Amino acid sequence: MAVAEIRGLTVQYGRFTALSDFSVDIPEGCVGLLGPNGAGKTTLIKTILGFVKPATGGGHVLGADILREGPLIRQRVGLMPEQDCHIPGMSAVAFVAYAGELAGMPGNHALRRSHEVLEYCGLGEARYRLVETYSTGMKQRIKLAQALIHGPKLLLLDEPTNGLDPRGREEMLELIRSVSHGKNVNVIVSSHLLPDIERTCDQVIVVAQGKLRAQGLIKDLRKVEGAPIDVELKEENPKFMQALQERGVTLLSAHRNIYRVQGKGLPSDVGKIVFDAATAVGTQVRGYDLAQRSLEEAFLEVIR
Amino acid sequence: MIVFQEASRWYGQIIGLNDVTCTIPTGVTALLGLNGAGKSTMLRMITGQIRATTGTVSVYGQTPFANPEVYKLIGYCPEIDNFYEHMNGFQFVEHLGRLAGYGKTEARERSRRMIERVGMADRAHKKIAGYSKGMRQRVKLAQAMIHDPQAVLLDEPLNGLDPVGRREFMQLLQTFSEDGKTILVSSHILFEVEQMTSNIVLLHRGRLLATGNIGVIRELIDKYPHRIRIATTQAREVATQLAGLPYISNISFERDGLEIQTREPDKFYDYLPSLAVQHGLPIDGFSSPDNNLESVFRYLVTN
Amino acid sequence: MSSPIADLTYRGYDGPLGGVSKRWWAIAKYQIKKQVKNRFLWVLMAASGWYYAIMIIIFFFLEQMAVNNGPQGEQALKGFLANIVWKDQFLLGFSFGQFLFFVMTWILGAASIANDNRANALLVYLSKPCTKADYLLGKWLGIFLPLLLMQLIPTLFFWLYGMTSFASYGFVGAAGWLILKMIPIAVLGSALSASVILGVSSMFNQGRIAGIVFAGLYMVSNFFTVFVKIAILFQGGHGRSRIADIPPALLNLFYCSIDGIQIAIAKNILGTAGSQPFGGGGARQRMAEVPVPSPIFTALIWLALCAAGWAIAWRRVRAVEVVG
Repeated sequence: MAVAEIRGLTVQYGRFTALSDFSVDIPEGCVGLLGPNGAGKTTLIKTILGFVKPATGGGHVLGADILREGPLIRQRVGLMPEQDCHIPGMSAVAFVAYAGELAGMPGNHALRRSHEVLEYCGLGEARYRLVETYSTGMKQRIKLAQALIHGPKLLLLDEPTNGLDPRGREEMLELIRSVSHGKNVNVIVSSHLLPDIERTCDQVIVVAQGKLRAQGLIKDLRKVEGAPIDVELKEENPKFMQALQERGVTLLSAHRNIYRVQGKGLPSDVGKIVFDAATAVGTQVRGYDLAQRSLEEAFLEVIR
Repeated sequence: MIVFQEASRWYGQIIGLNDVTCTIPTGVTALLGLNGAGKSTMLRMITGQIRATTGTVSVYGQTPFANPEVYKLIGYCPEIDNFYEHMNGFQFVEHLGRLAGYGKTEARERSRRMIERVGMADRAHKKIAGYSKGMRQRVKLAQAMIHDPQAVLLDEPLNGLDPVGRREFMQLLQTFSEDGKTILVSSHILFEVEQMTSNIVLLHRGRLLATGNIGVIRELIDKYPHRIRIATTQAREVATQLAGLPYISNISFERDGLEIQTREPDKFYDYLPSLAVQHGLPIDGFSSPDNNLESVFRYLVTN
Repeated sequence: MSSPIADLTYRGYDGPLGGVSKRWWAIAKYQIKKQVKNRFLWVLMAASGWYYAIMIIIFFFLEQMAVNNGPQGEQALKGFLANIVWKDQFLLGFSFGQFLFFVMTWILGAASIANDNRANALLVYLSKPCTKADYLLGKWLGIFLPLLLMQLIPTLFFWLYGMTSFASYGFVGAAGWLILKMIPIAVLGSALSASVILGVSSMFNQGRIAGIVFAGLYMVSNFFTVFVKIAILFQGGHGRSRIADIPPALLNLFYCSIDGIQIAIAKNILGTAGSQPFGGGGARQRMAEVPVPSPIFTALIWLALCAAGWAIAWRRVRAVEVVG
């Protein structure tokens, strides 16, 4: 079952059309939402939250109508906004518990779960501190905590690694992965950092110019026509190409020490030939795998 | 060319930068480090906002602190997004051109050229208040380059850009680098850094942890346990063969293959072909997850 | 089947969840809980009843005299009571409390939306099942209810004192039902203050600045009230003639301030123009007060100010900006 179904949605801001006749089924699991600036990503998130008054079209999110049941949707969905946000003058525990009460949880349940969620988000030690005193990384975590407090079935994460340093970013991605896999929470991640999407999501939705451009498994998007193999050598070696061709393997392209080759048969058969060729010319194979595009390449091609 | 010679900087008892000696050559150099590693201190020392407590900093042979001669040589593109929002992009750049000391016509001409160069010519006459993140970054770069400086410092310039904008911005930096400028970019996004340059300066808790070419650094740390994933349908048989090798320190089984750890990757890569060729075991693929800047960074910072 | 080792990682929430309709109450509840913990507010509340307190002290001593000094003391008490119009006392108590009500409003409301603006708190509210109306209503109630309570407590205290001590002097007949009039007065007054500060607070993103602007607004508008008072003072003559010579349009300026309009409400509802404090001046002076304004005039100003506060807040708080 789809988490959200949007049908023929057209949204206009004045003369600007943010989404035009947009239809999508957002599948369960962890989905990446990609698109250049101004593509309609933000409008789509607003739609999913039931904020948008479309010119035409409609849809359902978690079974609730986006036109009439906005508040009900927001009770079932958790949003982690891109900007820093908190309620001033509160400790982390009180803030997250209050967010839970706003979502309709009874006070005592909200407070109990607030401790639990903060612990989970790695703020256990700092939970009695004022949110104002938090660092960038901690503010990012508390935004996630307040989005999770009411146990949403769908989590919307808008640029969740914004402003984080490499360590903070890695921890945040790990957190997102763990909540989206095996915890029965569906996640939509909107991010400009495509490697983040690659690491957390299984599927992507690509939006550009108010239209759905592509949708599917990341695995499939990254596939290269004809399933060639990328071979990485320790260093460039012109003789290697020749040795390969003698053994019936065609070279498609070479980029520094990485060679893209196309052979017949199973990857393990091609592998054998590659190893043989490398040994013959006295070079070392450092890597050998089915060729894949980066998500970025795939993305840039899709939106072009 | 920017040279740090045993430079340190304290703020009271807090140390910002601790005994750093390094040279930032022409071309693109990436400045890496966790929050609080000393990146901002370093940038502020180069831009002459603060003085080294001990040691020296020199920018093209001159000390930058409170030295307008040096300011003429450097352009700075800060992380924060503070503009005069009511101005349009062109006015903003022109205004800063006037501050750099150019007359009206000169400032206008230079602004026109820079705006063109950063690809904002068609949008420069709209108010900054309505600019997207990418447009703001471009305007910031244009104002940093207006006086044709020798060195440009950019603090998180790609933050908030979409993939298209990011790629264009990197290409733009590349063209400046080809003009022989010194470009220092601080960034948290390591895969971007990898696409931009192979020359890094890595700070950690105020100390200089590594400097130079990523490839060279990676080779030097080849000693640390290197992980290699092997995709195969006969993981147990492959493991049996590998178990006897002295330089393999760990073998673990995964869903469609196995992962080994070795302290001597070179020897292992030499051995690997024999698995397929001599023992006839099917190897569907193999790769090392440690083969990127991210893992080099992680290794250096956590050890 | 349960494992002997607990799984302490993330789990969903399947406990009770309320409906999505009365979210404003959750917001109001939080605001009120936070406000009543502020001890300073309770001190201000006690101070706002200073007129009642002085009256009670006077009454207390007169009563003591009546008990101790026999007929002479009894005479003094009766003489004093003869000059006291009970509804005027409530009007005076309410009027003299205005300045402190203003300070209380400031403390209760200046930061309510302003600080939220700075911290982007609206994003948190609106991403939960709260609407803009829930948010504003919750914030408004969070100012209005504590203010109402704090306006009523001193009045209620004075009334109870009267009921217990002066029942035999006709308090019950003259003033027993006055408390029922004081409730709508306090309701309308608090609603006005809460609406105005809500609007002011929504315009800024720092509570302090919103507070200063509100204070400025209060002081500037109070200029009219003070001006009319001074005009009356310099008019010369006695009693009714003092007031009669001032054109009514000018007199009505007295009510064109945050204080004044609340006093107008009180006068309209109590049906008295008031008298000198502490029963002074005697019956002759009774008419030397600004006359009761037309209820339509009062209602219009009250409505205009409340509507303005709400309209500003409604415009400033924008739901659309939730994402991006």
